[in-house]
Amino acid sequence: MQTQTTLTTKNNYPTKPITVIVPFSAGGGLDLVARTMEKNALKYLGQPLVVVNKPGGAGTLGWNELVNANPDGYTLGISALDVVIQPLYGTTKYHYPSALEPIAQVTTLPFLMVVPSDQPWQDINSLISYAKQHPGQLKFGHAGIGSPAHILGETFAKTANISLEQVPFHGGNDITISLLGSHIQIGFVPPLTVKEQIKAGTLRALATTGEQRLTDPDLAQIPTFKEQGFDIVLTNWYGVVAPKELPPEIKTKLEEGFKTMIADPEFKANIENLGLQVEYLNSDDSKEKWISDGDKLAKTIRETGILEQIEAQKS
Amino acid sequence: MDTLTMLLHGLSISIMPVNLLACIIGVLLGTLVGVLPGIDTISAIALLLPFSYSMDSTAALIMFAGIYYGSKYGGSTTSILMNVPGEAASVVTCLDGYAMAQRGRGGAALTVSAVGSFIAGTLGVIGLTLFAPPLAQSALAFGPPEYFSIALIGLIVLTKLTGTSTLKSILMVTIGIILGTVGLDSMSGISRFTFGIDELDRGFDLSLLAMGIFGIGEILTVMTASSTQSKVQTIRFRDLYPTREEARRSVVPIFRSGILGFLIGLLPGPSGTTSSFASYALEKHYSKNPSEFGHGAIEGVAGPESANNSANSATMIPLLTLGIPFCGGTAILLSGFMIHGIIPGPALITQQPDLFWGLIASMYVGNILLLIINLPLVGIFVQLLKTPIYILMPIVAVLTLTGAYTINNSVLDLMWIAFFGVMGFYLRRTGFEPAPLIIGIVVGPELEQGLIQSLIICNGSIWEFLTRPIAGTILAVGTAFILYHAIHWFINLKHQQKETSINSNLHQY
Repeated sequence: MQTQTTLTTKNNYPTKPITVIVPFSAGGGLDLVARTMEKNALKYLGQPLVVVNKPGGAGTLGWNELVNANPDGYTLGISALDVVIQPLYGTTKYHYPSALEPIAQVTTLPFLMVVPSDQPWQDINSLISYAKQHPGQLKFGHAGIGSPAHILGETFAKTANISLEQVPFHGGNDITISLLGSHIQIGFVPPLTVKEQIKAGTLRALATTGEQRLTDPDLAQIPTFKEQGFDIVLTNWYGVVAPKELPPEIKTKLEEGFKTMIADPEFKANIENLGLQVEYLNSDDSKEKWISDGDKLAKTIRETGILEQIEAQKS
Repeated sequence: MDTLTMLLHGLSISIMPVNLLACIIGVLLGTLVGVLPGIDTISAIALLLPFSYSMDSTAALIMFAGIYYGSKYGGSTTSILMNVPGEAASVVTCLDGYAMAQRGRGGAALTVSAVGSFIAGTLGVIGLTLFAPPLAQSALAFGPPEYFSIALIGLIVLTKLTGTSTLKSILMVTIGIILGTVGLDSMSGISRFTFGIDELDRGFDLSLLAMGIFGIGEILTVMTASSTQSKVQTIRFRDLYPTREEARRSVVPIFRSGILGFLIGLLPGPSGTTSSFASYALEKHYSKNPSEFGHGAIEGVAGPESANNSANSATMIPLLTLGIPFCGGTAILLSGFMIHGIIPGPALITQQPDLFWGLIASMYVGNILLLIINLPLVGIFVQLLKTPIYILMPIVAVLTLTGAYTINNSVLDLMWIAFFGVMGFYLRRTGFEPAPLIIGIVVGPELEQGLIQSLIICNGSIWEFLTRPIAGTILAVGTAFILYHAIHWFINLKHQQKETSINSNLHQY
């Protein structure tokens, strides 16, 4: 009897609105993706999504809560590359890649290396030769020690064999403000934060960290690091995650629902308008990506000395 | 002339029925958000985002902006009437607003606050209309060293804000700074002072602290006092509006603080709160009778309430002309814009003039609507005080806790707000005025972050820091101001000593 009722509830799933935990404050890129899904959900999932912001601790508080949520399909969350990065520093409560279950990857977003447009550098090489002549003069802004942008800056300095000073900020907006005032010289920021500045010519992007160029016509002229001979590839992604041990029927329903939602041209247009690009991956492919990203970054944070830097702070 | 034409064109857009309706709904909701203690603007807009999905984008933006600037109007209501701030930006209004209410001048304080909000809010929108792009550009000249300098001088000047002893004020500021260090620190990548409690990684939210120490703290104070009930007075109609004397004394503070608030609003950070504190210090400094401050000086209501409204208008400048939010409120507005497919940036004015000017014009309309809504409300709100305290205060407590929960959707936050409530209660009982604590928690993190960033930017050299033109000027002016006061204080001390020694000499003979 007991099993039968659970079975029917599973078959009817979802019968009530689904909560989506966004582990950052309202107003960020992650939040915008969640709200774009919220806008389109009813049609594809049969129930509305309810976005709940649980900010704090660089996303870890929201993800901790998701790990502990009932795996009944009524609590989902939004994930980002940080899900993989944070546990590498050994400061998180859970190892998210094994404690969470990806449902889908929604978008990918590379970082852009931008400089104020009143600086003379038109390409990476002129920047590097300037840095070599003026060691320690160039400062790059990133969104906090250990953040993807910090990893990128250190990786770039190491690959180009130059010394860059790092300046921690609270996020992409603060970095952009300081770049526009020329208080720092280099920033690693997501495309949506600086798209309007690049269009207006106040900031210049020297490279993108994606495997390929961006598809957005306003940003498609920006070359990748790889094209310019630097082996620097780091792409952030946003996805939908669930707590571990979701019943298979529910997982399949969710996977199907999100897959068709993401394939909808209207959804795609909404996401692209934000300066993001849709890149769907199913659950298994996402999981694979988590593992490969994790392995790659574990190596990078050791080699660039970031891990050591954070561990030194802890003791 | 061109601006005027565009503005008139914008006006024609903003008074289209659908947009006007959106504006009315927005400012009504904003007033509600402001009046209800605990519910902050950011979470209110976040909660309302889903309801706007089906709206026309211009109307939606007008509505969101209405909530945003409207919330600064109502914030002072509960500060004045109940000593419970409606918003963190209205904490300082409690000091004199509540004192006025106890003298039966609550209605006058509310009216001055509404009129001041209207004048300063409109001043701010005029600044936004005329000078938005150049102002945004000049704000960018301020980098981390400049923020640090402002924060440092601000901290020193604002510490001596209230009438209590300097030592007590410094203690409060220090506790504020200490509380501000709790949480995951992005400057080092580690958690500080969290004692293994995960949720503390978030740090203490300014609104949460303000609601706890002032809101819950005051409710506890009132509920434990034995004879407050006897104070309910009948308020005569003419008591609702300021006397000629009160109106005269409010005019200069409204304009002066309006301009101050506007300038502070151009800089990143929680400018609503910082501008109201700065305005209080400024008005106290320029007042002919500074000793009245803290005991119901009308300038102490007029100044801060004007400052936080013009600061609010000013925060729209970087949002609309650069596409970058400088504070939490405009960050959520940006989200609202982007959800509707509008991406603000340097090109917004030229590419979407209808939207830009329609929105600006709606802010003029909205401010007038807010004045029309708020003035009659004064009478109603004052009547609310006739509600028995044992009914009113529990309602306020429930509203505060509900609002506190919506900030981070966290249950633990409710326990913290209770903790800070008890803390606020004991602080008051022991003669501490907790307002400087709020300064500490706002300015402390700015100082730390600013110093770290500045020293990296200046290659670790203090000299390079001091020789940056703007930072150097701010620090020099600040030092001169502090030195002047120190010397002043020292001379006074000497005089007093001389007098006492003369007196004692006289006694000897």
